[in-house]
Amino acid sequence: MSRLVAAIRESLARREAVARVVVLRAPDEALVGRQMVVWLSRPPLGSLGLDESAREAVVQRATAALQQRRHQTFHLKTEAGPLEVFVEVLGRPPTLLIVGAGHIAQPLAEMGARCDFRVVVLDDRPQFASRERFPTADEVIVAPFHEALRRFDFDLDTYVVLVTRGHRHDVEALLQIIDKPLAYIGMIGSRRRIRGVFQLLKEQRQLSDEQLARVYAPVGLDIGAETPAEIAVAIMAEIILVRRGGTGRPLSDVFWERSRRVHTWRSSRQRAGSAPSS
Amino acid sequence: MQTVYDVLEQLEKEGLPLAVATVVRVRGSVPREVGAKMVIHPYGRHWGTVGGGCGEADVIRAGMDVIHTGRPRLVEIDLTDDVTVENTGVCGGIMEVFVEPWPPQDQDEA
Repeated sequence: MSRLVAAIRESLARREAVARVVVLRAPDEALVGRQMVVWLSRPPLGSLGLDESAREAVVQRATAALQQRRHQTFHLKTEAGPLEVFVEVLGRPPTLLIVGAGHIAQPLAEMGARCDFRVVVLDDRPQFASRERFPTADEVIVAPFHEALRRFDFDLDTYVVLVTRGHRHDVEALLQIIDKPLAYIGMIGSRRRIRGVFQLLKEQRQLSDEQLARVYAPVGLDIGAETPAEIAVAIMAEIILVRRGGTGRPLSDVFWERSRRVHTWRSSRQRAGSAPSS
Repeated sequence: MQTVYDVLEQLEKEGLPLAVATVVRVRGSVPREVGAKMVIHPYGRHWGTVGGGCGEADVIRAGMDVIHTGRPRLVEIDLTDDVTVENTGVCGGIMEVFVEPWPPQDQDEA
């Protein structure tokens, strides 16, 4: 068993960021496929068969890739000639924390797992937050919301969706996490309700517009979702939009005249009746 | 969530040589992103995808070759042909896929 692969697996089990470095091209064919493992806070494993200064340069690039959480392919000039190296960043999947284990949480947890998120579901009701209801979740926590949220290890790759059984719980959870370093906070609720809740939070809890602007509420992209599964799609789509960037508009818009499309992308039912621009 | 490393851990128990393909560079429109992986199995029990279609077939062939030779290869998947009625599987970009033998050997220990 490869020592390097064993080290990678250990890190993955601990959710520790780790980079696998592989040589793609080298003047010496024997170097192609050589590997090295790099961490942020401990010495690397393996050498790629390079001299000290080239190895140091590779470790630097791998460390940068780890910090940016992005795979990277790069060229490197060494005494032995030009190298091409791939850095695979592992061990830090984004986390989807679903607060509330109701009927939207179930399809959302499934989709989150499908999209390679580490999925954590939290509820204070054991009959809802159960393994049986969430077989694809990485973790199902049964605990009072405030307690579990206080202990939860948030980071900049954590996406939180507040879908508890009652708005009171959503708001309590929101107040607890609103200033944490997070990628995303989504909160369910109708337009009207959210407007009222935000007003109350401003007046009674002195929350600022900047703080509230972090909150995606009503949650999800406007795709006309109605059923729990459709709403989960809308929420997951919004999370992907925040994570990857995008416009949230149909890609096909590019082929259509804007004036014609304005109403068509509000309602798919009208789309069939419009024609592409010539 | 199950990662490719979990899948490999399971497959390694069978003791068969495998190949792992990874998308390492993309230009233009391509079906998968950098870092996408596929496991090529000697009896065809492949896992994952680097985009499907003819490009993936090339990668599987390269994987079989890598399984036999034990030497890694870089495969270029060119999807820049013109769109025709017979050939619509053209995304418009180029993908480089690294195919390596698995489990890897630790040369440093030799």
